[in-house]
Amino acid sequence: METAIFYIAALVAALATLRVVTHVNASHALIYLVVSLLAVAVIFFLLGAPFAAALEVVVYAGAIVVLFLFVVMMLNLGRTSVDRERGWLRPGMWIGPAVLAAVLLVSFVFVFWGTDAKTSGEMVGPRAVGIALFGPYIIAVELAGFLLLAALVGAWHLGRRYLEERRGADDFPEEEGANAEEAAPEASAEGNA
Amino acid sequence: MPVAVPIEHVLALAGLLFLLGLIGVLVRRNVMFLLMSLEVMMNAAGLAFVAAGARWGAPDGQIMFMFILALAAAEVAVALGIVVQLARRFESLDVDNADEMYG
Amino acid sequence: MSGMDLLWLVPAAPLVGFLILFVLHDYLPKTVAAVVGAGSVGVSALAALLVGIDYYEAGAEPTWQLLWTWMSVAGFDPAIRLYLDGLSLAMTGVITGVGFLIHVYATGYMWNDHEEPEGFARFFAYMNLFVFAMLMLVLGDNLLVLFLGWEGVGLCSYLLIGFYHQDPANGYAARKAFVVTRVGDTFMALGLFLMFRELGTIEIQESLTLANAQWSGGDTTMALIIGLLLLGGAVGKSAQVPLQTWLPDAMAGPTPVSALIHAATMVTAGVYLIARMHDIFLISPEAQLAVAVVGLVTLFIASFTALVQTDIKRVLAFSTMSQIGYMFFALGVGAWSAAIFHLMTHAFFKALLFLSAGSVILALHHEQDIFKMGGLWRKLPIPFASMLIGSICLAALPFTSGFFSKDVIMLTAFEHESHGLVFWGGAAIAAFMTALYTTRMMIVVFFGGQRTEAHDSSRLNMWGPLLVLCALSLLGGWFGFGVVAGVLPDGGLSEFSHFSPVAIITMLMPFLGIFVGWLVFGRRIIDVEALAASKAGNALKRFFFGGWGFDWLYDNAVVRPVMWAARINKGDIVDWIYRITVAVTRGAHHVGSLTQSGRLRWYAANMAFGLALFFLIVLGVIG
Repeated sequence: METAIFYIAALVAALATLRVVTHVNASHALIYLVVSLLAVAVIFFLLGAPFAAALEVVVYAGAIVVLFLFVVMMLNLGRTSVDRERGWLRPGMWIGPAVLAAVLLVSFVFVFWGTDAKTSGEMVGPRAVGIALFGPYIIAVELAGFLLLAALVGAWHLGRRYLEERRGADDFPEEEGANAEEAAPEASAEGNA
Repeated sequence: MPVAVPIEHVLALAGLLFLLGLIGVLVRRNVMFLLMSLEVMMNAAGLAFVAAGARWGAPDGQIMFMFILALAAAEVAVALGIVVQLARRFESLDVDNADEMYG
Repeated sequence: MSGMDLLWLVPAAPLVGFLILFVLHDYLPKTVAAVVGAGSVGVSALAALLVGIDYYEAGAEPTWQLLWTWMSVAGFDPAIRLYLDGLSLAMTGVITGVGFLIHVYATGYMWNDHEEPEGFARFFAYMNLFVFAMLMLVLGDNLLVLFLGWEGVGLCSYLLIGFYHQDPANGYAARKAFVVTRVGDTFMALGLFLMFRELGTIEIQESLTLANAQWSGGDTTMALIIGLLLLGGAVGKSAQVPLQTWLPDAMAGPTPVSALIHAATMVTAGVYLIARMHDIFLISPEAQLAVAVVGLVTLFIASFTALVQTDIKRVLAFSTMSQIGYMFFALGVGAWSAAIFHLMTHAFFKALLFLSAGSVILALHHEQDIFKMGGLWRKLPIPFASMLIGSICLAALPFTSGFFSKDVIMLTAFEHESHGLVFWGGAAIAAFMTALYTTRMMIVVFFGGQRTEAHDSSRLNMWGPLLVLCALSLLGGWFGFGVVAGVLPDGGLSEFSHFSPVAIITMLMPFLGIFVGWLVFGRRIIDVEALAASKAGNALKRFFFGGWGFDWLYDNAVVRPVMWAARINKGDIVDWIYRITVAVTRGAHHVGSLTQSGRLRWYAANMAFGLALFFLIVLGVIG
């Protein structure tokens, strides 16, 4: 019974992922991505990793995909972008990458097929994960902290307004209010000079 | 109620997901889809780790998955910042616009 | 502390002076540059004096001072070591003494230089470097140090001839001097290599001892070859036939440079080299004979050329050539000490002549044509007096310094075993010519009608050195011989009577020259202009004027063929090899840069493709 659930979840994950890659509408593709991630979460649970399954749902399907959704909405990818997306995706373009991927998949499977090993079927709960994480892996946790901090600083920098101002405020008339205040001292300084 | 499934089936699924993501990276010109495909690929790598951990009943696979999660979060934060800048600068999400750094 | 321990200071002081001036030349005021430039050589001269006094008090034994070992490779460890004997002491005295006087004079001469107003400190930097290099040349105890100094003075000569670098002609003159002396240097380097190969040492004294032991009385071919190669080097540096053409052009440098480098010291390096290596020439009489012939030919050619020159510095340049010819001649006939003695007295009076000429040139605002001078003796009494004294020394009137040295040379030449009469006769005619052209120069410059306004602005720092050099020129002959006696082997001159007919004729030759000169150029009993204007006279004059056609010969025999070959060789096959390499590299670069499209997806595809390839190879599907 549970084994059947595993294969059903695997099928769902594969099909949903296929739709993520092929869909022309960004919002719909994101919904398919959520489906794919939930299916993988189910698989995690069946493999005896409930903590990973929970994180998959909370962080991946929750936080990261929502972040994507924000950007999609901010960039206002509407009907025109769907049409443009159709124009970009010509059928012939799929052939090369598909062949390449098929070769790789065959190679992958060929490597590990027939090992005749099964997963243990044991539950490895959050307690065991936490003990290992803050035991032997503590350095890696610290490094992950650094990585996230660097990403935070990087994202903040990339999102700063002056990067746009360098090109001139005229490009974004809808943000005029915020720009005008910051640009004013500069303009007067130039006038004096 | 964990189950015992053949490890190669799980790994095959991980490989399939990974390669679907790869196809997406290679085909899509829209940078949003490109990033989604990247997420798919990372998720597939996480699945492979968890499966390997489950093979031995050890927590290490899950821990590696968590690091991949942290990596994905960091990557998405920076990448989406770049996407916003790209969209403002080129008024398009076509990643091929940003090809100025050729040799 | 013994004074001889100060030997290291002799070359060190000018080196320090050079470093200070070279590094700080933009920041030093002129006064400081002058004090450092002349002062460093002054310190060196003082040190040399103390060393000299101690040397003679200690019994005139050759001594060494080891500074440090240059390098030590597999049993080959050349040292930077100073060697002091009578020869190097005499040279050191001339270099530092005369050098100091010329430096002092140059502080006045270069003070208001119009052509190169920013170059005051640079000038003294080069001059100090020259003094340092020349001292290393004469004090060095092994062939490496000697060669280092040899090339160092060549470099300074190049830098100072081209000092007025705004005028391309001066740069050309500097290059000519450098290239022509380089020909000689190549011979000399080959000679030194050969010595090292044959004798296995680069220490000069040791190699000479070995040479005597190895070749003396046996097969002297190797000594002959080495001797001729060394002679080649000496000929280049000392502007002797056939490598003499650079010296007249070297007068493009400032006059103190001409006095110090191209009259008193550097050009006598060849004489020093042969004197230092005299054992080689004693072993091989053929090589020594070649030295004498070179000297005599140069003596002849130069003195005839000097007679028709119109530029006062070129007259003196050719006279320098002929006087160095005397020195070579002396070396060749075995009057070793006399050669060095003449080197010393010549340094005194030729420096005096050049510096007085410099004063005249400065007073006439850089006019060097003697036919635009004239009647200057009233206007410029000090330059006139000093130039007169220099001239009578050059002409070798009795009891001047030039007389003492030249007399010994000519009498030794007469005693030469095989060619005595020819040698003596040639030298006597040249002595007559020397007196003749000196008289012509003095009469044209200082007597007759005045043709250019003169304005003497020299101060103490200019006429002071002139006075000292006057005294040295007049009196140097009385003490000079003792300085160099005993260092080098000499013929039996002491038995020679100073009242034999040969000696009296020798003594009278300069008077005859002066008398004829006075008749021709003073009294004008022969119309020189008319003679020169006649067809044969004109051709002869032009032949003499151009230095007996050597420049023309080299231009046509060497320079033009080389230029022609270079021109037709411009696009030759050797270049094509390199061009093909360049083209292939460029092509590969373009192909490589095609893969750098800047497209993210292209890079990702390549990574995936590479991964697939890797898997296929690992699985044994391909490869």
